[in-house]
Amino acid sequence: MNPAHALTPILDLPEDQIAIRLRGIANRFGKVTIHENLDLDVMRGETIGIVGGSGTGKSVLMRGIIGLRQPSEGQVHVLGYNVWSGDAGQRQALDSKWGVMFQDGALFSNLTVHENVLVPISEHTNLPKSLASEIADLKILMAGLPLSSAHKLPSELSGGMRKRAALARAIALDPDILFLDEPTAGLDPITAGRFDELVNELKETLGLTIFLITHDLDTLRDACDRVAALAEGRVIAIGPLDYLRQHATGWLAEYFGGPRGRAALGLVGG
Amino acid sequence: MSPLEAQFSIVTSSKGPVLRVSGDWTIHTIGALDARLRVVRGLNAHRPAIVDVAQLKDLDTAGAYAIEKALASSLESPAILIGDHPVAGRMLGEVRKHTQGRNVETRITSSVHQFLEHIGRSVVQIYDEMVDTLGFLGETIVACWRAILNPSSVRWLPTFAVAESAGVNAVPIVMTLSFFIGSVLAFLGKTILQDFGASIFTIELVGFAVLREFGVLITAIILAGRSDSSFTAQIGSMKMTQEIDALRILGMNPMDMLVVPRVIALLVMFPILTFLAMLAGIAGGALVTVLTLDLSLTLFFTRLTNNVGVDQFWAGMAKAPVFAIIIAIIGCRQGLNVANNVISLGQRTTASVVQALFMVIVVEAVFALIYMELGI
Repeated sequence: MNPAHALTPILDLPEDQIAIRLRGIANRFGKVTIHENLDLDVMRGETIGIVGGSGTGKSVLMRGIIGLRQPSEGQVHVLGYNVWSGDAGQRQALDSKWGVMFQDGALFSNLTVHENVLVPISEHTNLPKSLASEIADLKILMAGLPLSSAHKLPSELSGGMRKRAALARAIALDPDILFLDEPTAGLDPITAGRFDELVNELKETLGLTIFLITHDLDTLRDACDRVAALAEGRVIAIGPLDYLRQHATGWLAEYFGGPRGRAALGLVGG
Repeated sequence: MSPLEAQFSIVTSSKGPVLRVSGDWTIHTIGALDARLRVVRGLNAHRPAIVDVAQLKDLDTAGAYAIEKALASSLESPAILIGDHPVAGRMLGEVRKHTQGRNVETRITSSVHQFLEHIGRSVVQIYDEMVDTLGFLGETIVACWRAILNPSSVRWLPTFAVAESAGVNAVPIVMTLSFFIGSVLAFLGKTILQDFGASIFTIELVGFAVLREFGVLITAIILAGRSDSSFTAQIGSMKMTQEIDALRILGMNPMDMLVVPRVIALLVMFPILTFLAMLAGIAGGALVTVLTLDLSLTLFFTRLTNNVGVDQFWAGMAKAPVFAIIIAIIGCRQGLNVANNVISLGQRTTASVVQALFMVIVVEAVFALIYMELGI
């Protein structure tokens, strides 16, 4: 299905064209309800951007999908596997099918970049050491880092390079789905723009489905096929950025209509 | 669906050797082929420049890398692709782009070289640490001098907080350990001196050892472990969250805010703790002596005052402020030197405890020499 026509959270598509399927998700912290009856379908091969104000539970939703925090209610299916079935086999099958880039990189601080990228490779494959090491180098290069930084510790890298190193680790196993949590937060606009290009390039090469949480309107414009807006505990609107902008109401109208939104969408002085 | 085995063969054609690949070439399957592929990589003249992907199933970048490396291929003269495959051309091209002209060999340094490098680094590090610590000592003295000239500038609230957590809260552990050390000394003295018929001298042994050495040493060792680690971790995590920078920007000197209160608190609390440690040590010694030698407490304390004397008490007490300063400044300095990462916090905390213990024992030995020369 063309992303331009996929304008509802629930899509009528066969199982094998769906990467992530969320049904009736609820997340509660004590008495505070973050999500209630949230549905969402992510198509294979698309980049979906998740937006929402602070505290709307974007990261909580992602943690629910990647198996770090069980939603209070609801079903999470990734690539047809039930993430919270309690069946260890199902979870394990997913381990090498998704890559996650956490907000602050979450690189292991006592390992060099090269060793960080090697971790998933040596954990999930039985490659000979030399080949594993060469493939780690390849991933580092694909993430746009020079090999000279491969033997540095994360603390010796700049913010932008750390993000790239985290991306290299996330794509180490050629995942089907890539989760990016605020990939361009804290980067200068130029570096952020390059990062968006890199993500697009990797998506092309690896045929990835990308689940991307961001506040960055430029990233939404440049890297996302569809955008899903979270508010009131569910997906209030979903579709390509232009469609969303034209049909924006409430919070979303404020989001796109504010000076920063207008600037990013090229509406200022135009 | 379990992956198919990755396979390859080299067939000759009119245009030269062709690498024919089949099955799934992914990161999970290529491991088995690596050794044989390396042989192909080693073929210089006869390395195939044509790849047949007609029977190739799944391909990922790792598989593409393995294929690309086996081929005589470069950006200028890429390998020729025959057969249809949805992604092979793009993948091989992408891998070629990233590995082109780059020597993707891992660096291997010999272990002897690494060992020597490690020793060299450590020596330089020890020297740097010593210079830094002395520098910090000077800085602390200046800050303390400012505090003495203007006592109202001292931050009394944190001073009392540190005095409570590092001093008062350490009283039970210091006294308990001292009590046991005192009683162990008494047992030891009794057992050995008995052979010479001089078991009564156990009292002198306990008195000399506890007052002159162990009271203050036990206190120093406990505080080095207990307070140094907490000073380093507290100040270090403030450093990591840029709180120290914030203090500086707000015009507050971290030396005055963090270091001076800790130095003052320990300078006050350390002698008190030492005194309590001595009391507990003597009590432990007295208990054992009285019970095992069947002496009266009066005799114990009479011999203690007559033969050991108050000089020994002061000899021990005189070390207390020195140890207090050593412990406070090592803990604070290591904390302020924490870099912005977790390993450094761990390293600095370890270094702080180790250095403090080391310095305490060294200074203890120096005191022993000085006292010997002075004939105390």
